[in-house]
Amino acid sequence: MSELFRTIVNAVGALAIPAVLLLFLGWAALKRVKVYEVFVEGAREGFPVALRIIPYLTAMLVAIGIFRASGAMDILVSLLAPVTSWIGMPPEALPMAIMRPLSGSASLGIMTELMKAHGPDSFIGILASTMYGSSETTFYVLAVYFGAAGIKNTRHAVPAGIIADVAGMLAALWIVRIIVK
Amino acid sequence: MLNYIWIGLIVIGILTAVGVDLRNEAADTYRNGSSLEAAFLPERAPGPLHAALEGVVIIPAGVFAGHYGLTQRAGQVRQESSLSSDGGTITLSIDESSPDLWREMARAATARDRLLGSVTSVRWGPDGTTALIRFTLEPIRFVRLRAVTQAAFDYAGTAVTIAIGLIGIMALWLGVMKVAEEAGVLKIVARVLAPVMRRLFPDVPADHPAASAMIMNIAANMLGLSNAATPLGLKAMEELNKLSPKAGTATNAMCTFLAINTGGLILIPATALAVRAAAGSANPGIIIGTSIIGALCATIAGVLAAKILEKLPRFRKSLEADHE
Repeated sequence: MSELFRTIVNAVGALAIPAVLLLFLGWAALKRVKVYEVFVEGAREGFPVALRIIPYLTAMLVAIGIFRASGAMDILVSLLAPVTSWIGMPPEALPMAIMRPLSGSASLGIMTELMKAHGPDSFIGILASTMYGSSETTFYVLAVYFGAAGIKNTRHAVPAGIIADVAGMLAALWIVRIIVK
Repeated sequence: MLNYIWIGLIVIGILTAVGVDLRNEAADTYRNGSSLEAAFLPERAPGPLHAALEGVVIIPAGVFAGHYGLTQRAGQVRQESSLSSDGGTITLSIDESSPDLWREMARAATARDRLLGSVTSVRWGPDGTTALIRFTLEPIRFVRLRAVTQAAFDYAGTAVTIAIGLIGIMALWLGVMKVAEEAGVLKIVARVLAPVMRRLFPDVPADHPAASAMIMNIAANMLGLSNAATPLGLKAMEELNKLSPKAGTATNAMCTFLAINTGGLILIPATALAVRAAAGSANPGIIIGTSIIGALCATIAGVLAAKILEKLPRFRKSLEADHE
């Protein structure tokens, strides 16, 4: 079942981009749009958008980098561990839950380490990979997306994003406990 | 809120670094100034020529742990190193196989991948193939503060690398989207999902380019096509910005869109699957179902939170145009 689903999604994934390119550009050509000229016109916007996100991304990544390098996470984990073990989250998985919204590369490293230490099919291994797979790097997305639109006042986007992350981590814990135990 | 989180990360990071460094200084974690005894095995027997000797420094596990007061004992230390020709300096070439503590120390040392030690005594064995040496490593201080400084500079560079890397795919997708817009394809895409979009983004007209860009971004995200998803998402944000009453401030639609994106709904968590397979999992695919459920909960919670929070007076007020 899961194997069939995977094959189908992989096939759709492989076909999606060529299909979209063929459909959109082909349709436009049939409608007598000057495809090359219009494409170049639109593509010109790529450079300023990429440049616009640099200050936002620099601010975000430097703050996250300082936090990571300082080892503050170890302290945060020891503070939070009593609370999270009360809801049944193993303390080993806590760094994953904290790092996932902050840094994609750090949480990838944590997931790999946990799998090496506990085995990929252990409770912690499955929990860590579910946590990684069921969430996005919230603060990176915030910086890049709002950067492109030049948004400085993010209003309720940050609390909503954090609520989504917490919900995702709790849901991952809940579903993995049902499946593994 | 982002202001507080941002300054929080920086202040907590720097204060922790200062605290850890002070604690290490007080506990003398790096045993600055005290000497360590080790066996030195040169690769070749010392010849008459006065040249530096390449070889291996060997310290029994117990001696190493005892010297640094470590509770956890790793194996015997075998460290690539070189002894200067006058026998006065030993250079340890720190790499992946070196003890964790030495690797940590090397990051704050003068040369980032080497530790220098001054040798106080060398006693060659009778056959000249091993020597017993006593050496003192260079003093190591402010390990965390140096790491924090390095991280700040490294990540500033990373930000530019990421942004520059986006230019090409950004240009590709913005070009394709422009063509699709001219041909009216985007309107068709938007019309199909108009009932859903109207509910999620009541402020966005169904046939606006923002609507179709958001639909395509979400579709690309679900298929795991991040090279297409990010440019489409940025295009959507730009279009949403054109509908904004106040420059520089996020609209309700932007926050809802961001909540969907940070929920991270994806049909195949390809990276996690690859890591599981590489780690020798008997059933890597077990996480597909759990990840979809996790991400679905995250997305629903995020959208609901965005919808409720946007009604709060403090967030409503911040969107009102200044002249009102």
